[in-house]
Amino acid sequence: MKINVLFFASVREMVGINAKEVDIQDSENSPHKLLNFLIKSEQGLWISLHKDKHLIRLAINQELADWNDLLSDGDELAFFPPITGG
Amino acid sequence: MTVCIQEDVFDVEKIISNIRKNKSNIGAIVSFIGYVREFNKSKKTKKLLQMDLEYYPGMTEKALNKIELNAKSKWQLEDVYIIHRIGKLKPTEPIVAVVVASEHRKSAFEACEFIIDFLKTDAPFWKKEISDQQIESWVEGRDEDYKKRETWNLHK
Repeated sequence: MKINVLFFASVREMVGINAKEVDIQDSENSPHKLLNFLIKSEQGLWISLHKDKHLIRLAINQELADWNDLLSDGDELAFFPPITGG
Repeated sequence: MTVCIQEDVFDVEKIISNIRKNKSNIGAIVSFIGYVREFNKSKKTKKLLQMDLEYYPGMTEKALNKIELNAKSKWQLEDVYIIHRIGKLKPTEPIVAVVVASEHRKSAFEACEFIIDFLKTDAPFWKKEISDQQIESWVEGRDEDYKKRETWNLHK
């Protein structure tokens, strides 16, 4: 299945891209598993993302989500640091 | 009910007169305005040159609408405006305005505080500070904001 992954703020600067389409197996159906897949297939910058995992917030289809929430084909997954607006 | 994310500066007087237009039942309007500080107390020597505000197009609007709806379900409100700026801001410029109108002051005061508290933790905006020494740093999330949100005792 295809997941459209977005990055914002300091996380975007860390990985150096705004967005990436990731093609994963149906069994890799959580943000946690998707990140492990990226580390296995590409290594590099994804390892630093994994290292800061506890600091990173995420959203699935524009709703705040957790690392073990379920992903479906065509979902939009976003990684970002804690919110600092207002 | 209005949610607006914009680069341009906003005019709270204009927002208030828009709210009051054709409405004779408003007894109270409470507004909160957040500004860019020039100096950061926690980093004493740091003088701010510019603040860059980033957001998540689509999600941020949704999050603000949700906060507004939650406030409307908790209090009897005549109108609500949430305006948040993005892009490059200079010290002393306004960042955010929350304007709440109701029949009586208690609802307006409480709802205004509720909205800004949830905006701080639930609406995806991120601030980057650029100091007068050209040092760039992302503002870190504050635990106090989450503690304050918890005091409303409401689940997302």
